[in-house]
Amino acid sequence: MSSETGSETARPSQFESTLRAYEVRLAKALAMGGAEKLARRKTMGVLNARERIAYLCDPGSFIESGLFGTSGTFPADRDKTPADGKIAGFGKINRREAGLVANDFTVMGSSSGATNGRKIGHMKRVATQRGIPLVFLGESSGARMPDTMGARGMGSLLGNDGAQYQRMREIPWASATLGLSYGSSSWYAALSDFSVMRKGAVLAVSSPLLASLAIGEKVDPEELGGWRLHSEVTGLADMVVDTDEQALDAIKVFLGYLPSHHNEVPPVCPAPTGSGEGMRDIVNLLPPSRTQVYDVRKVVRTIVDKDSFFELKARFGRVGVTGLARLDGRTVGILANNPMVKGGALDTDACEKFTSFLVLCDSFNIPIVMFVDTPGFVIGTDAERHRAPGKIMNMMNALSLMTVPKLSVILRKTYGQAYLNMGGGRNSDEVAAWPTAEISFMDSRFAVRVVHGLELGDAGFDEALAGMDRANEVWDAASIFAVQSVIRPQETRDYLVRMLEVHQLRLTKGVGQHLMRAWPTSY
Amino acid sequence: MARLEAKTDVTGSVWKIVTTVGQQLAPGDTVMLIESMKMEIPVVAEEGGRIVEFRYAEGESITEGEVVAILEG
Repeated sequence: MSSETGSETARPSQFESTLRAYEVRLAKALAMGGAEKLARRKTMGVLNARERIAYLCDPGSFIESGLFGTSGTFPADRDKTPADGKIAGFGKINRREAGLVANDFTVMGSSSGATNGRKIGHMKRVATQRGIPLVFLGESSGARMPDTMGARGMGSLLGNDGAQYQRMREIPWASATLGLSYGSSSWYAALSDFSVMRKGAVLAVSSPLLASLAIGEKVDPEELGGWRLHSEVTGLADMVVDTDEQALDAIKVFLGYLPSHHNEVPPVCPAPTGSGEGMRDIVNLLPPSRTQVYDVRKVVRTIVDKDSFFELKARFGRVGVTGLARLDGRTVGILANNPMVKGGALDTDACEKFTSFLVLCDSFNIPIVMFVDTPGFVIGTDAERHRAPGKIMNMMNALSLMTVPKLSVILRKTYGQAYLNMGGGRNSDEVAAWPTAEISFMDSRFAVRVVHGLELGDAGFDEALAGMDRANEVWDAASIFAVQSVIRPQETRDYLVRMLEVHQLRLTKGVGQHLMRAWPTSY
Repeated sequence: MARLEAKTDVTGSVWKIVTTVGQQLAPGDTVMLIESMKMEIPVVAEEGGRIVEFRYAEGESITEGEVVAILEG
């Protein structure tokens, strides 16, 4: 920057004391919650907010917004609230611009106050208007007390931004839960397209202390909002890691698959050497008997670009597998049934998981590929109590509202309504099947009982079963064009790469209609 | 020694117990096979350990979430 103003050249000595005061204020703002608190975190092996930003962003690229903000409610708090406990700014992540909000727990537990609320609002507005992803590094104690107490506190601190918790998916949001997270941190994790959680962190509406006071019993933090709960039961965590660094790495990888905003296509990376090298023997990943199970993720990893499969919600709804990957360098969303869990029968958790993943892919112009091997939906009283019809139809509706390319490959069986939910018929742009595929309304061994009234051991049972099994083979579907292609298993990768090329959205430069942009971020 | 539980994630019947008491298992090893929906679905050891006891015998019915074997690890 020039030091000249008008025709006069400023003499440094004139402003020396002002500039010295600036440096003092700067040092104070950067000192966060003080050396003692920062040292304690270091001992625990946990990064502080500024270290997290430095790790996440390309060196020298972070530019801060609101460094000199402090608590605006009580004058006495001004000196105790550097950056008002939430560090905001812009940085480059793998050379791509992003907006960031990093909670500084050493400053009043990074509680939500008036100034830091304005900072978050600014980051959201700028990121959305300029088309860059937004990253939240969560660790906060919730609303600041006593600032929010009383009618005046509530009126002045809360509800002044009507779009505060609005998600229209114009830009990707990624969040990491890296410590105790209550209130705001939890809301942003729940609203994000990707949510990673470090083991030991807690994500909940409010603290165990408050929860204990409310229900009158001691609440265990892990039980209230630990990693097991959110990765296995609620599905709010897409991924669980051991360290802060791994969480930040996961955000970098996730954003690498996504466009910066909804009006562009995802970035393309060259396919690594060795991609597709296991294709020749891929059929051998299927077990010899149709009643045996296998882990479909081996099939997925063999087909997609080498080491590109980035699984999401691996511990939740495990009968369904979801993840981002690349095929010949282009981002695709993978959905697959996993026979290894419950034989691949879709339960309500898997339906929710698939639905949220379909919404993610469609919102950010990511074509999907489905690998199908399912005996249908889990049925019974438990499924009904979990609102199975609603969850099944949410998924079906999401699939039918998608405007990005949809391809499906039937590996083995596909029965009943699940045939449609997994892209059967016109629910995919192209349906391919391996010669091992079988399609019907239900498994032949059940159908023989229903249709012929025969039980195992009855005369005619074996003949009736053999007839039904023959009718389930893929050829009849191919002959009436209900399946567009029957392919050799070893050709699956080449087939998908070529079909994705054919089905590019040329008329809109790869951009879909995003009909589900305002769908819920969890179900 | 931690006490570990192997649970079934499906309702069905025990089709085949493929391990024995005292056997050391690695994470992901199959403890037994459950027949459900005409499929053979494995119950796997989430963490490694030595099998201490089986709670069910072959042919017995089980419900989703039930503990089928105890391991020590």
